[in-house]
Amino acid sequence: MLRIEHFTKHYAGSKKGVTDLSLHIAPGDLYAFIGHNGAGKTTTLKCVAGIQDFDAGSIQIGGVDIQKTPIECKRQFAYIPDNPDLYEYLTGIQYLNFIADVFQVSARDRQEQIQKYGNAFEMIESLGDLISSYSHGMKQKLALLGALVHRPKLWLLDEPFVGLDPKASVLLKDIMRGVCRQGGAIFFSTHVLDVAEKLCNKVAIIKNGMLVASGSMEEITKREKSLESIFMEVVEDAGTDQMVDKIGTL
Amino acid sequence: MLEQIKWLTKLELCNLYGLNTLRFSRDRKVRKRAVGMLAVWIVVLCLLVFYVGGLSYGLIFLGVEDVVLPYLIAISSLLIFVFGVLKAGDTIFRKEGYDIFCSLPVSKIAVALSRLFRMYVEDLLVGLMVLLPGIVVYAWKIRPAFSFYLTIFFGIWSVPLLPIVGACLIGTLIMGVTSRMRHKSLVATGLSILVVLMILYFSSRLAVIEDSFNPDVLRELSQFVFILLRKLYPPAVWLGTAMNHGDFLQTLFCSGISLMIFVGMAGLISHFFHQICRNLFSSFARHDYKLGEQKETPVLSALCIREFRRYFSSSIYVTNTIIGPIMGCVLSGALLFADVETLKEILPTFIRLESLIPFALAGTFCMMTTTATSISMEGKNWWIVQSLPLSIKTILDAKIGMNLLLLCPFYLLSELLMIFAIKPAISDLIWILLIPAIMILFSCVYGIAINLHFPVMEWESEVSIVKQSVSSILGGMGGFFLSMLCAVSVILTPEKYMNFLRAGICFVLLILTSFLYYGNNRKKSL
Repeated sequence: MLRIEHFTKHYAGSKKGVTDLSLHIAPGDLYAFIGHNGAGKTTTLKCVAGIQDFDAGSIQIGGVDIQKTPIECKRQFAYIPDNPDLYEYLTGIQYLNFIADVFQVSARDRQEQIQKYGNAFEMIESLGDLISSYSHGMKQKLALLGALVHRPKLWLLDEPFVGLDPKASVLLKDIMRGVCRQGGAIFFSTHVLDVAEKLCNKVAIIKNGMLVASGSMEEITKREKSLESIFMEVVEDAGTDQMVDKIGTL
Repeated sequence: MLEQIKWLTKLELCNLYGLNTLRFSRDRKVRKRAVGMLAVWIVVLCLLVFYVGGLSYGLIFLGVEDVVLPYLIAISSLLIFVFGVLKAGDTIFRKEGYDIFCSLPVSKIAVALSRLFRMYVEDLLVGLMVLLPGIVVYAWKIRPAFSFYLTIFFGIWSVPLLPIVGACLIGTLIMGVTSRMRHKSLVATGLSILVVLMILYFSSRLAVIEDSFNPDVLRELSQFVFILLRKLYPPAVWLGTAMNHGDFLQTLFCSGISLMIFVGMAGLISHFFHQICRNLFSSFARHDYKLGEQKETPVLSALCIREFRRYFSSSIYVTNTIIGPIMGCVLSGALLFADVETLKEILPTFIRLESLIPFALAGTFCMMTTTATSISMEGKNWWIVQSLPLSIKTILDAKIGMNLLLLCPFYLLSELLMIFAIKPAISDLIWILLIPAIMILFSCVYGIAINLHFPVMEWESEVSIVKQSVSSILGGMGGFFLSMLCAVSVILTPEKYMNFLRAGICFVLLILTSFLYYGNNRKKSL
């Protein structure tokens, strides 16, 4: 479904970026992407979504290269950033119809999807209001509805649980499982390690722009350690490295 | 409180014109943009030096050096006032940062005052850009006494105060009145346009010589200009005369009065600041939507509709771009009621009104296109279209399409009025219809090209994009210079070659438009 090969992206004049990252996400995978702040999670997701260019490597979605045929790629996925800045001058329903129009979703289909998931997220009554009047959580729900309306095969989510109320969080987890059961795939970043451990079948850990571990959740946590303790080990290693670097420069 | 005002003002000013971003950003694009911005400002400055310097030199040459300073003070004040009316509301009652400051132990009065000071600094820079070239020419030619420089030093800072007071009061009034309305942005836009049109109307009326005006006065040009300036903006005469004479006390008196009025206005705005902000930022949510039947819309139409909704959601965007087309209609309407034959007689014999009209009309339409800032105006929402399956061509076509559709009714109305007004021959009629249409098309595509080169996606206030960005300045200057260039070539070309010239201009513009259009669409990413 998603194949990232030797992906490298660096920002001019900055040490931040991602180096030589390779990941394969198969249909049915619920793939968590974890790492400390500034590790390169959002950069990777943005490049996969075609929002940013990258320096080297390739990203293929459903066998199609994002750099060569971006439009065909983008038809297959939905991307939701960590802070969904939506069009505040539109009402919720106008936004959903805009997304549905771009994906050429039939009137009947979009109505069914909006009805189904709008009710589930308790958003139907707010769809006539301007997005500027929405709370952060409501914007997050609307962005999710925007993704659901065109039934993407691949979901790219950046911190999808931030801002959601507990009920919506549970619902989102159910939707995510449902998508993967039906042959879709989800690649999402999160800081909530507990959720990642319970929800996902695969996980990738990124540290300072480098992939340090990836594979099935069982493999990663085979030493009967929790994902949290494994992650902390990785982070502490990073801390030690930085300390060594600092000592070296003194 | 003073300490709060001090650091809030520092915060407001530190990123003025994006200086802080430039200082700390390591992004090459940001640096490229900054260099572009600097280049544009240098060009604007050179033009101002050329225009103001030339004007001052001309006035001194005519022996009316007394008029120079009052005249320049009046021009800079009018500029600050007109642009201030358009931006005051958005600058003072800006949403960005308001919530953060409200959660901090900071007085709301301090927040309001810091924003006012930011506006003052911006306008002082505009005032200095207009005044300094004239003062340099004046000092060079007249060699005034030392007291002149002293009064300039103590008086120049007060020039923007009164225009800011006027602009802020009108801006606050508009914001205050509309803040309780559901469609506040739309009403504020309408009111702002109305105010600007009224200012333009009354300032043009003031320049008309009254019937009772004594023609003998014309012999004294200086006196004549003073009479006009007194009608237009008396403080310019008071302060300018005081500076001319090196009258230190009168300068201090004028500046002091201006300062007192400014302080009074600042107190008034501070008093109502929180209330207006609260009403402005409160959103109307009904929570009563019932899902009905949904409709499909073709992709390009959906994008165009969204562009229109974006456009009309921003009062500063609308007011800055719609004044030109309205002026085009006003120009045509005015000709309908004016005595066209007399107008033709006034014009030099080698200039035909019918030849000049299409370019004048086109100039009003091309002064500020929406496309020149339409990419930057996407701001933090840009990720949406970037992640959607849309080609660059479709996204840009929607922006051009929206601009063309917006201008279409103004174009048709102004053309209709113009045709009724000047009753052109068939050969002129074709050009009157064709030239503005081609120039509109060119300016829309040119606007996109400019914004693609100088996009600013991270911004705090729409004012910084619509009024201060490289693309807005270049977009406006491009249209203006193009129509000026065409008008000059019309004036210089003998009538027998006029059709060749008009056809040549149309041909060149169409080629340029095609070149820019394909260049824009060939970009691999936005």
